[in-house]
Formats: sequence, C-alpha cells, structure tokens
Amino acid sequence: MKKTFLFILLLSYCWHAKAQTYISQMSDDSSRIVALNEIIVNSIQKNPQHYLVRFFKANSAATLEDILSRLPEVSLIRRGSYGMEPSIRSFSGGQINVLVDGMRIHGACTDKMDPATIYIEPINLENLQVQTTASGFMSGSTIGGTVDMKMAEPDFLQNKKLTGIVSSGYQSAAKSFFESAKLNYSSNRWAFRASGTYRKSNNYRSGGGEEINFSQYEKLNYSLSAKFQQNNNTYIKADLLADDGWNIGYPALPMDVGLATARIASVSIHHSDFSKLIYKWQMKVYANKISHFMDDTKRPFVPIHMDMPGLSKTFGAFAEGEMKLNKKQRLSVRADGSSTYLSASMTMYQPGQLPMYMLTWPDNRKGQYGIAASWITEIDSTLKLQLTSRADIITYSLTSTAAKDQVSIFGYSSANRNDLLKNISTQLSKKITKKLKATGSISYSERMPTASELYGFYLFNNSDGFDYIGSPNLKKENSWQADASILYTKGRNRVQFNYFYSRLANYIMGKVDPTLSTMTIGANGVKSYINISKASISGFEASAFLKPTVDLDIVSTIRYTKGKDAEGNPLPFIAPFKNLTSLRYQPGIISIQLESETSLQQNKVSYLAGEDQTPAYFLLHTRLGYATSIRKSSVELQVGVENIFDKKYYEHLDWGNISRPGRNIYAQVKIGF
Amino acid sequence: MAVFPVRCIQAGMGMCQDVLIKNIQMKKIILSLAIVIAITFGLYSCSKDVIQEPDPTEGLIKLTEGYVPGAAVKMELYSKEGTINSGFSKFYIALYDSVTGNRVDDAAIQLMPMMDMGMMQHSAPYENPASSKADNHLFPCSVVFIMPSTAGSWTVKVNVKNLLNNKEGALTIPLTVTEPVKSKQKSFTATHNGGKYFISLIDPVAPKVGINDIEIAVYKKVSMMSWPADSSLSVTLTPEMPTMGHGSPNNVNPVHIGKGHYKGKVNFTMTGYWKLNLDFMEGTAVADSTQFFDIEF
Repeated sequence: MKKTFLFILLLSYCWHAKAQTYISQMSDDSSRIVALNEIIVNSIQKNPQHYLVRFFKANSAATLEDILSRLPEVSLIRRGSYGMEPSIRSFSGGQINVLVDGMRIHGACTDKMDPATIYIEPINLENLQVQTTASGFMSGSTIGGTVDMKMAEPDFLQNKKLTGIVSSGYQSAAKSFFESAKLNYSSNRWAFRASGTYRKSNNYRSGGGEEINFSQYEKLNYSLSAKFQQNNNTYIKADLLADDGWNIGYPALPMDVGLATARIASVSIHHSDFSKLIYKWQMKVYANKISHFMDDTKRPFVPIHMDMPGLSKTFGAFAEGEMKLNKKQRLSVRADGSSTYLSASMTMYQPGQLPMYMLTWPDNRKGQYGIAASWITEIDSTLKLQLTSRADIITYSLTSTAAKDQVSIFGYSSANRNDLLKNISTQLSKKITKKLKATGSISYSERMPTASELYGFYLFNNSDGFDYIGSPNLKKENSWQADASILYTKGRNRVQFNYFYSRLANYIMGKVDPTLSTMTIGANGVKSYINISKASISGFEASAFLKPTVDLDIVSTIRYTKGKDAEGNPLPFIAPFKNLTSLRYQPGIISIQLESETSLQQNKVSYLAGEDQTPAYFLLHTRLGYATSIRKSSVELQVGVENIFDKKYYEHLDWGNISRPGRNIYAQVKIGF
Repeated sequence: MAVFPVRCIQAGMGMCQDVLIKNIQMKKIILSLAIVIAITFGLYSCSKDVIQEPDPTEGLIKLTEGYVPGAAVKMELYSKEGTINSGFSKFYIALYDSVTGNRVDDAAIQLMPMMDMGMMQHSAPYENPASSKADNHLFPCSVVFIMPSTAGSWTVKVNVKNLLNNKEGALTIPLTVTEPVKSKQKSFTATHNGGKYFISLIDPVAPKVGINDIEIAVYKKVSMMSWPADSSLSVTLTPEMPTMGHGSPNNVNPVHIGKGHYKGKVNFTMTGYWKLNLDFMEGTAVADSTQFFDIEF
C-alpha cells in the first residue's frame, strides 16, 4: 500500500512534468541561504536574506550560533554557553531537521545538550540553509523546517597549489580564545582540505560582573576532505569530520558534560551537466557516531553521583537530482534512507550498595526511508507554481531484551512502530509589479515522535523540573501551515514581510501523571508524553536591507511568534518580539558597525511548563574591522565590544534564567596566504 | 583408536578375538571391518542417547542421599541452589529401588521438618509432594526453614511409602540452614488477632529491570508442631527504592493462589537496592504494616 502510494506520487510528478513548459531559474522562496564563502547553491535563487546574511558573515569573529541567531526565523534554546539548540519559528526538537550536508545526525544526549550545530565550526561551513514551510520537508519529513549546514569543500586553485588561513581570537567575557587553521592543496585533479579549530572558554561573567559557574568548555574540531575531479562534470568527494568537546559546563542543568565526541564520515559523487535532462545530481553514503558522557563530579551538593552515557550511531544514503523538464518546468527529486541506533543509560552510585542502573533511552533503532519531489512551473511570466511532496516510512524497534523489559513496565506489550509520513505543499508566487512580489503557500506535514517521546525513561527536564516518560503509542504530530510573504525591491534596497500560521494536531507535549512517582531526587513530578488535540503557532518576520549610499548598509529584522494549545494556554519556548538593527559604514579598508538588539518582555508564558515572565532588554554592540595585505598575505583585524552597557539580561528561551554574557571585548586576527 | 577394543567387544567379542589370533595378515582387513562395525554401533548408541529423555535432575544439585529403611528405596534429595537458606526451600526427591536400582515413581512421601534447640523442639511449615505419582521422576516438595541452623539443628524426616511394594519407612536427614545476606523469611504477630504469622519470599529469584513475578507464602503458627498455610490475609505491595526515595508504577498486589501462596507483579525501574513493603489485612482489620523484604541486584 505504502509502496503504491510512493509510486503514484512519483508518477504524478512525471505526468505533470510533461504538460508544462520551460523556466530558466529554479526558485524557492521559503529558503534562506547564508553564504559564508560567497558560494551559493545555484538551484536556489538569491533572495533578500542572502544579502542580509552575507552582511552578518562579514564579521568573521561570529560563531555559527551567532549567525543562526541573527536569522529572523531562528531562535536558540540555551542551556549553557555551548550547544545551543536551534528552534525554527518556535518549532524545535523532533519538529525540525538539523542536517550536516544533507546527513542525519542524532544527538547522543537525552537532554539535547548536543545539537548537530556544534559539530560545524564557521571555518568548515560553506553555507547555511534554513528552509521553512513549502520546501522545509524536502530532505526529511518535518513540520517546522530544516537547517542544513553545507560543509566547505576543497578548492581547485589556478595559480597556487597551497593556500591557508590562520586565525586567532580572544573574548574578554569568558577569557576565552580560539585558534583555527585551514589548509587547501590542489593538483590537477585532486584537491585536499584540512581544517582545525581549538576553543577554550572559562566561566563567563554576566552583566554586572557576576561569574556564571559551570559555563566553561573546551573543544577541538578537525576535518579532512578530499576531492577527485573525474571529468569536467563529475567529482567524487570524501569528508571526515571529528569533534571532541570536554569539560563542558551547562549552568542551567544539574550535570555537565565530561566528554562528547563525534565522528562523521561521508563519500559522495556529484555531477552537473546543464545540457542534460538531469542537469545535476549527487549521491552520498554516510555514517556517524556520537558519544556523550555527562558528568556531575564537579558539582557541589550532588545528592547521588551518577554517570549518564549516551550513544548514537547512524548510517544512511541519499540521492538527489534536478531535472529540466522543459523551458518552463523543473523537477527536483530526492530519495534517502537512514538507520539510527540510540542507547543511553544512567548509573547511580550509593556507597555500600550495588549500582543503580537503568536505560534512559531503551536501546532502539529507527529506520527512515523517504522520497521527495518538488516541481516548479512558470504558468506565465509573472506567476510561478511549486508543488512539493514527500513520503517517509519510519520504523522504530527496541533492540534488546533489557529495553523491552523496561518499556513493559508501563504496560506496553509492543513498542515497535511502522508509520507512513505524508507531506505536501503548494506555493504560488506572483510578480505584481516589477518591484513587488507576493508569495503564498499552504502545506500539510507530519512528523514522527522522537525516541525520547516514544521510549524516554524518567528523562529529567530541568526546565520544568519534571521526569518525562515516553509513550510508544503516540500519534504522529501534524500541521497545516499557511505562509504569505511580500517582497519589495527597489535598486539595492529590499524589504520583505512574512506571515505564517500553523495549525497543529496531535501536538506532542508532556502531561502530569499524578499516579507516577518521580525518579529524580527533588523532581516536581512525572510527565508522560501525550497528544493534545490541537495547538497553533503563528507569527511574522520582516527584514529590511537598505543601502542609502555606497558605503553605508542598514540591516534590520523583526520577528514575533505566538503559540497556544487547545485550551488557549501559551506554548512554552516562544521567543518574544525581537528586533536586530545594524548599521555599517565601510568607506575603505576600515569598517565600523553599530548593532542594536531589542527584545520585548515575554508575558505569554507557559506556567504548565514551568516558565516565568522574561523582562525586556536592549543591547548595543560595536564592531571595527580592518583588512589589508602584507606582502602576499591578507591580514584581517577585528575588534569590538558587545553588550556595551554591560546589561544583565537573559532571553526567554534560556533555561533557568541564567544571565547571558555581560560586556565582552573581543579581538581577532586572520591571516591568509 | 583407544576405543577400538571396547567397541570390538561390544560388536561381537568371540569373532573379533578368533580372527585376530589366527591370521595376523588379515589384521588390517579385520581392523577396518571392526572399525566400521564399531562406528555403526557407536552411532546407533548415540542416536539411542538422543531418543533417551534428558536427565530429570539436570540443573539440580544433589544435597544428600541415603537408604530409607523399610521402604526398600534409595532416596536422593536435590535442590536448585545446593545450599539451604532460611526461608522457603524447594526440594526434589528421587527414589530408586534399593535392589534393582530402577526408579520408583509411585510413592507417598510425607515430610516432617524439626528444629532441635536443645531445650525445646519445633517444626516448620512444609509442603508434601502434591501427588504420589512422580513428576518427571521427581517428587517436588518444600520446607520453610523459619530460622537458620545457628539456633539449633534442623532435620527433615522423610517418610516414604513405596506404592510398588507397599513397604514403608522413614529417613531423617540433617540439614544445615544458613541465613542469606538479604532475608527471605519474616514473621509478625498480627495486631488484629494476636496470631503469629510467617511469610516467605519465593519470587523473584532472579530480579530484573522490568516486570517481575512476585510470590510469597504465608503460614500461621498454631502450635509448635502445626504451621498451616494461611489464605485469610490480603496483601498490599509497595516497592520502594529508599536511596532515591521513589517507588515504581503498575505493580499488582499478590493474591492468594492456593496453599498460602500469593502471586502478583513487581516492577523495578532500575537495578540496585529495593525494599518490597508488604501490608497485611484481614478484611478491614490491619494485621501488620511493618513487613518488607530487601532485594538488591
């Protein structure tokens, strides 16, 4: 039945494809690309956000999280100064996909301390793509969208065989520094790239001078990548990425991380030939292994010492291609599959007793097999239609007797799952005038409950103080989403406004189960994951990119989201209204930048989820850049002061209301040869 | 080759010997032949072994054996553990005809445990074999040792009536009962009637994280020599992990299933030290609410 569905889905695209005519450019208005090295995937049209983002990447001291948080669609859930979890339009966790080069990477931490974003250093990153609504599910069923981080590739260089970059920086708030280096070597048909970044950060000081204990971290990230150019149209690439983090503090959690390691490997073949029907395709096989060891040995007053190791192993493959069906129609297709093994346990030690051991993620394996297609047609010179669809078969199974025994405690005889996820969207964009373009889309999407939501075993959530228990019988969460945007372009000035509304059904959340007793000492109670009938999330984003003179740029974004459940209670982790405005004056080799960050008070809070109100704040940052070249080397200097007024503040999505860094003076030097 | 002569004898001793003595040249041929015959017979006996039912005492440990005078049987006493702890002990008795060595599967067996403390003697709860027909050649029975041997000496008198020849006799077996690290035997004086009750933990023997069967047995001391099973109480089970201060969900209170045995379900959410709190009621009257068993795994 499922196979038939998939087949029909594919067939329908092919049939539609024949009836239409040619378009020149594949466009996708719901994608945001952050081009960090001036390289942009050519299948996706540049839109105002590209300019906006290119603007922010100019500050090369920015971390990946800095860049992400400046995209109007993205907020970060913060548990410490490391490993912030991205949230797209207030969708997070299992509602979104976080991919590295199209690869699935599942965190090994039951407390989401290790989102895949931590494995990518800016030096490894080629671009960053945030997709919402209409095409957000192209690379994986999702109701919230996808963040895909494209890794930097080795470059074939004409004049030189060997190039490199060395950079070093210091930040005063955490007395932290980083060293990073990149080497690129190329011959006729081979190119190699190696990069490494080392970061060490101490406890930072918040506004007003208070030291935030357990906010330190140390990490080493390195990557190796080789590329072989088989012919003008085809190349083969192998990537290895490793990330080791240790002594990572999480001030908002009761435990830190002793060691977190990631090994990510892939081999891919890429082909492009614009004279062919399938003008571009790539295939990739990949595997990754994440291990994570939580640690409470440095914390004072620990009632009982515990170890909490977690392991995630994924292998998968995908193939994607783009087809030019005729002058007005293009089709992009993707097929992917992956298998993820997850296991996490907790062992507590009470002197004089046998250790207390349990599985927090009962050993389980998730299989995911999906196909997706997106078809774009130009109805006339001003009207464009895009249809996107994806189907996924998801399987979950418990893989050990111990896991099955544990899940049976709650009376579930079978905890295995087999589900079909369906996603479909349609988007229409119309050029009303030469300067004004309107886009509207409607989409339906489904997502699978996560391993924590299905099988989690007394997972303590420090945000609301409850132990969470998974429910293997959870229904799929689904969403109907409408999105409307207006883009106004005049010369080099661009203004865009986006409104979105999501109507969720079978929304998954924790509900207090008074019959269960807590496992964690001091917990407020136990919550079981349930489906609530409905919830809604809506909001808007706006961005303006203005260039009044050649050497002056003004960039401003605003965002606002609100969410409520079936009873009208606000949903948790919804960021309040926020505005970011930057002004950059760049008369020559020197650039001066002034940035403001304004967040309003959040008083629509979820008391059920243990939230409280978050006060408003206003921050001011200033940055100074200087770029020159000495002999054949380029030298770039960056200095700046963030949070000039040393404001003590935190954001609504920060766990535990832990204050963010206060005044931070940074300096960075980058030398390229 | 070491087995050859043996196999040869098995295959047909006379023929083998004659040929070997008379004609040495024929030795090799005969040897080959004998091997073939030996292997054939060897295989035959092997396949016969497979058909044979497995040893009923497999997995059990023999505690003692002895002849039961008068009943013309040899008795073997087995248990699963090999050592005897205070609490509910299950035994398996095997009987053999003392002359032929054949199994005796029809016998009426009666137990009488006795604790000799010097100044006084008392018995203990016990369960005779449920039937005079052996179950897989064994007679399962139980004794509840309510205290270890440190206070005196335990004996179990086994009275056997061999139903094949209607001969009867008794063997008294001395046993050493030790106290386990975690006691599986408790007693209380009921608050509602002043009766003296003895409770034994039978299951879980091998506790695991997940759902476990829990089985307890309740006996009431009527006199020094009478300890009948009791089914009058209702049991409430509350598992607790004292170190962490939590319990576990979805437990099923043990209910009476016969012979004073109560069966239910206990859930352990993790390994470690657990306390199984048991409250006993008779109707609405509280018999006792202080009993617990410790389990650590």
